[in-house]
Amino acid sequence: MEILKVENLTFSYPLTTSPAIKNVSFAVNKGDFVAVCGATGSSKSTLLRLLKREISPLGEISGKIIFDGEPLSSLTPEKSASEIGFVMQNPEHQIVTDTVWHELAFGLENLNLPQPVMARRIAETAAYFGIESWYEKKVSELSGGQKQLLCLAAVMVMNPQVIVLDEPTSRLDPIAASEFISALKKINRELSVTVIISEHRLEEVIPISDKLLVLDNSVVKSFDTPRNIAANLSDAKLLYSMPYAVQLFHAVNGKGECPLDIREGRRFIEENFGRETTALPTPKYTHSPQTAICFSDVYFRYERNLPDVLRGLNLIVYENEIFCILGGNGSGKTTALSVAADLIKPYSGTIEIFGKKIKSYKNQSLYRNCLTLLPQDVQTVFMRNTVREELEGAEEEAEKLPVDFEKLMDKHPYDLSGGEQQLLALAKVLAAKPKLLLLDEPTKGIDSASKHRLINILKQLKSDGMTIVVVSHDMEFACDCADRCAMFFRGEIVSVDTPSRFFTENNFYTTAVSRMTRGIYSNTASLSDAVKLFTLNKGGEQV
Amino acid sequence: MRTFADSNPVASAIYFFSVTGIAMFSANPVISAISLVGAITLYLMNNGRKSLSLHLFSAGLFAVMALVNPLVSHNGATVLFVMNNNPITLEALIYGVCAAVTVIAVLYWFRSFSDVMTADKLLYLFGALSPKLALTLSMALRYVPLFGAQIKKVHASQKALGLYKDENIVDSFKGGMRIFSIMITWALENGIVTADSMTARGYGAGKRSRFSIFRFKLDDVLLICAVLALSTVTLFGVRNADFEFYPYISTPEITAEVAVGYVSYALMTVLPVIIAVKEELKWKYLKSKI
Repeated sequence: MEILKVENLTFSYPLTTSPAIKNVSFAVNKGDFVAVCGATGSSKSTLLRLLKREISPLGEISGKIIFDGEPLSSLTPEKSASEIGFVMQNPEHQIVTDTVWHELAFGLENLNLPQPVMARRIAETAAYFGIESWYEKKVSELSGGQKQLLCLAAVMVMNPQVIVLDEPTSRLDPIAASEFISALKKINRELSVTVIISEHRLEEVIPISDKLLVLDNSVVKSFDTPRNIAANLSDAKLLYSMPYAVQLFHAVNGKGECPLDIREGRRFIEENFGRETTALPTPKYTHSPQTAICFSDVYFRYERNLPDVLRGLNLIVYENEIFCILGGNGSGKTTALSVAADLIKPYSGTIEIFGKKIKSYKNQSLYRNCLTLLPQDVQTVFMRNTVREELEGAEEEAEKLPVDFEKLMDKHPYDLSGGEQQLLALAKVLAAKPKLLLLDEPTKGIDSASKHRLINILKQLKSDGMTIVVVSHDMEFACDCADRCAMFFRGEIVSVDTPSRFFTENNFYTTAVSRMTRGIYSNTASLSDAVKLFTLNKGGEQV
Repeated sequence: MRTFADSNPVASAIYFFSVTGIAMFSANPVISAISLVGAITLYLMNNGRKSLSLHLFSAGLFAVMALVNPLVSHNGATVLFVMNNNPITLEALIYGVCAAVTVIAVLYWFRSFSDVMTADKLLYLFGALSPKLALTLSMALRYVPLFGAQIKKVHASQKALGLYKDENIVDSFKGGMRIFSIMITWALENGIVTADSMTARGYGAGKRSRFSIFRFKLDDVLLICAVLALSTVTLFGVRNADFEFYPYISTPEITAEVAVGYVSYALMTVLPVIIAVKEELKWKYLKSKI
């Protein structure tokens, strides 16, 4: 049964010449899981917002949107508010009230429901989403992942038939993101709630989607099952955002059925790859004799009565290398960066930056052409009202980045998408011309194509002599760009190694390709490694 | 175990208003003294030996208030001695001590009040006036700390980006102004997201109701009844028992009525302690049965 039908929808923003949405038609069945994908600027958000009447953008609109047999515009306010749910990117600002229970109640209060009904629905929802243990907490005490889950639960409590999500995981780390996607899968499979979601990272979403809607330049390019779309990909940009199994399939010009997830990718490798060579030569690791950062026995805690966040941290980063720090949430990665940037002071231990004690950098000299930090919340970097002003003195750096800032010059930095903000902040940080660059989650919110460009930029900076320390959850990114990777666990570094050894020796905390090749090939962590193995084994001839 | 702090906020509020109200408006030092003892007992029960500083502060305030009154007020007939041609009288000294007892008692009651009546309980009380007010307060409680935290984060980011050229006051003031100005934009921009999130969930579609996690239980009704009854008895008992200080101290006669008034006020001040002890005993009894 069709729950939502869009017919010949065209929409243009006021004072623009070309429409943002051009002649879009599609129909979604009840209980479908639909992923909307497309490059940044392909009007994904506009399309999704048009499906939710209360927050539809203003502009000229033609065509029809039918929800549950009725035109969207003629629904009663109660039905429209409760039956179509909407979840946005930023969990922090979607939350309205100060406590978890009140946030869950917010939508129900708006429907003017009596207390017993609200109590029952809230209790049910909280139990279903596992919120019970933090039900009475303040919102400010929650992690990013918990906040976004709360936003989802606060929408689900109103019992919607359809939920629309606009890049809900772009502000989350990959682990929280994958938990969020599992929660979505659960409500879709168990409650048959129709899900329409836009995403950059399709790795997790594709295996559970029924349909994929590809938007390109304001029009629908294709609307089909993920398998059909993955098998007939022509767009290189879209390919980058596909799961690694799909990328591998295309990289070796695979025939037959296209694998979508790790399990299918592994089967594909077993069936199509030769076995003469099972390991790649390990690249030799050399480092500069000078250290850029040296931590010895650093202890840090935020308050006297709180536990240690850094517990005797020892860390050496050599000059002119890219060093990636990986690890779970709350393991102290970000704290370590803040300590290295002298933003917070440890209570014990010594830190040297380029062989000089951090205390001896007087009068802000640490930040003058020496060290710069790109924080996780990039909005904190912007101080001006337009992108143009923001980029003053950083034009050269902006040139290199994978965004066309020309188009965005007169916008307010806050109006850019998450990924564009990330890159704008990076341009600003690079303009400070640091010798040592500290990056906290630089890939958050940016699409996969831009991520590939970013890797090249970092490598270029390294060859120009810069030392780069990256804190990230993104294992593929770390594998492709790092010279060395370190695993952070409970305030300490527990292992440091070159990426190929680091990821092939880890079992859980590793890249998709390493999971697909584990046990068959050793020493294969990245997509390029896998392709190399394939050609070495002359797999091409066998197929 | 349901202690006094777990009572419905309405019951707790009625208790605190009655117990402090009587102490503040009765001109009876015995009531004040009972109030002080009760207030300190409750405070110690909730906080143990912590916050020595509050006790020191109270003792200091007590001494100052008791001593200042005879220095500025020269009423009273019994002159103790003359200082700078001003008579220091016994009556003024005693009046000072009594007033200080009242003020310190009220101070301790307020301390316990703010411990028990947390923000969400106050919100529940104000929200009874209007659901809109409740929502506004709740949003403010979320937003103000968020704003403060964001300022700190912006400051750290900008420091690492070299916003501050030197370590001097002018420079950090300039930086501070720029951060404040961008924070206004931040609040407005992100306010749009919040507004969207509110309308998307039906805000403004019609009348709102109000959800609360506080229930009225039998205990709460009993507590309110007890407080009202004890207050009435106290007020009736001590209605003619005001003390006079000037020119001579005159104490009211202690009749049975007045005595009942004192006892009922004393009972009222220790109500939270009685509840705690009762719960403790119940628990012990249950455990011994297990």
